[in-house]
Amino acid sequence: MDLFLQQLVNGLMIGSTYAVVAIGFALVFTVLRVINFAHPDIFVLGMFTGLLAAVHLSDNLLVVAACGALGAALFGLVLERVVLRPLRERDVLMTLIGTLGVAIMLQNGMAKLMGPDPVAFPPVVPVTLLLSERIIVTSTQALNFGISILLLIAVSFYVRKTRFGRATRAIAERPDVAAAFGVDVNLVSQVTVVIASAMAGVAGVSVGMLYGSAWAFNGLLYGLKAFVCMLVAGNRYFEGVILVALALGVIEALVTGYISSSYRDVAAFVILIGVLYFRPNGLFGSYAV
Amino acid sequence: MMDSYLHWQPVIVITLINVMLTCGLYVTAMSGQLSLATAAIAGIGGYTAAVLTTNFGWPFLPATAIAVLAGALVGTFVAAVTVKMREFILKLTTLAFGEAVAVLAFNIDYIGGANSFTGIPFYSNIWVVIGGTAIAIYLARRFDGSRLGLAARAVRDDPLAASAMGVSILWTRIVTFALGGAIVGAGGSIQAHYLLILNPHELGFFISLTYIIFLLVGGMQSLWGPLLAAVVLTALPEISRFLADYRMILYGFVIVLVVLFRPEGLLTRAPTRTASRRPAGPPPGRTQAARARSL
Repeated sequence: MDLFLQQLVNGLMIGSTYAVVAIGFALVFTVLRVINFAHPDIFVLGMFTGLLAAVHLSDNLLVVAACGALGAALFGLVLERVVLRPLRERDVLMTLIGTLGVAIMLQNGMAKLMGPDPVAFPPVVPVTLLLSERIIVTSTQALNFGISILLLIAVSFYVRKTRFGRATRAIAERPDVAAAFGVDVNLVSQVTVVIASAMAGVAGVSVGMLYGSAWAFNGLLYGLKAFVCMLVAGNRYFEGVILVALALGVIEALVTGYISSSYRDVAAFVILIGVLYFRPNGLFGSYAV
Repeated sequence: MMDSYLHWQPVIVITLINVMLTCGLYVTAMSGQLSLATAAIAGIGGYTAAVLTTNFGWPFLPATAIAVLAGALVGTFVAAVTVKMREFILKLTTLAFGEAVAVLAFNIDYIGGANSFTGIPFYSNIWVVIGGTAIAIYLARRFDGSRLGLAARAVRDDPLAASAMGVSILWTRIVTFALGGAIVGAGGSIQAHYLLILNPHELGFFISLTYIIFLLVGGMQSLWGPLLAAVVLTALPEISRFLADYRMILYGFVIVLVVLFRPEGLLTRAPTRTASRRPAGPPPGRTQAARARSL
């Protein structure tokens, strides 16, 4: 029972980060119809800008997180204008290749600047054990989970309750009709990419603090998983993506705990094949592509 | 001169193997559906042939023949399973299939599992590689111009019209996937007997993506585009070795540039390009006449 609870907690921790990256994927894919494979690397970019801020600026958590968000958002802004905007309306696979080119540049650029090996992330918050009776939760784990949940609540509010959120859903349904009704598709696309990137940046900082290290190629681990989460859930309901990401984290942790860690990565793809076969539009439905 | 050949030989061999695998992917894609599992099928071919030559002492050619058969069978299987799926979902299913194969290879201890399959004998000298590549290009060229190739193109351009004309979508898919899978399986066998090691990580989605990059960057309208892209993009990181750490950045940059500025790929067929450049709408003479009538 203790093992189960411990793996459940571990799974929710990693799942919450999957969720933040997957939501960014889903937001950009829904609005721009572009699979942004550079998104996980924007997450790493946020990790590094946060790290630089922590080393050179201040070890205040808010400052570090804000710098992570800012670095990622700025890159997202430029990326949208230069690469993603021309890629809209293109074949989905073409968008994937184009953004993969950006991802390769970003990964190797960061490896060039920060070194090809993992870099230590300075301890912004002290690491302490919170629950040590039966299950172990560290302060950084709890912080990572808290930050992710806050980000997810914020993005849910944004999509459901704000004017831009409504425009987002309108474009997701029918971009042409939304444009005919006066929605500025370019502006909404830009805002979407910036928000998704900023979220990824904050999540990057929080994962950097969690593992105490940052690596230029960290994004690879999260990229494919987040992509799978979006496909399994379908992009109609962002809450569905969150749910699937949390569930995937828990399932992976349980597989690791009860079977073997080498089977951990099977879970995501077995689930993907099953869902694609029985519900090609995802568990909760998708917008037409 | 000899030194420079020894220095460039691995680059030439890897480039040719990539050309071969790209030929296979090109044939697969001719019926309009891409497989995102090229690396996995190459891996199946590679593992099959390597087990036969290493563990059973088979000669290279029969082992490769079995690898070809395995590739064709897997191609047929993937085509038959996915024939009714929508385009995007089909691509994702092949992706998931490839990842599943990679994970499977990772967990089978008989073929080395996570520790890689090693001790493969060396068979793929430069002549074997050149021969294999030549056969792959010949097959792809022959298929391109054959009746079946034309049928596949018809299915790609308009499945509905093609099936109305009596072309069976199921059979063209199966033929293209099987032939493509066979070529990829042979390429996998040659690759395994050159690198002498097989690693489950090399079967995954990101390796398959490199062949998709060759195909899309080169352009899907003729065989020469993808082959040109395979040569240029494989050799680019090697030729630009003097740029040291910047070469992968350059690689990404080239891909982004091509995707942004050559949406149809590097090489396109001239007639399609002129057709798409013709402005839409009625010619000016008729609009004037229409205006005159309305007055």
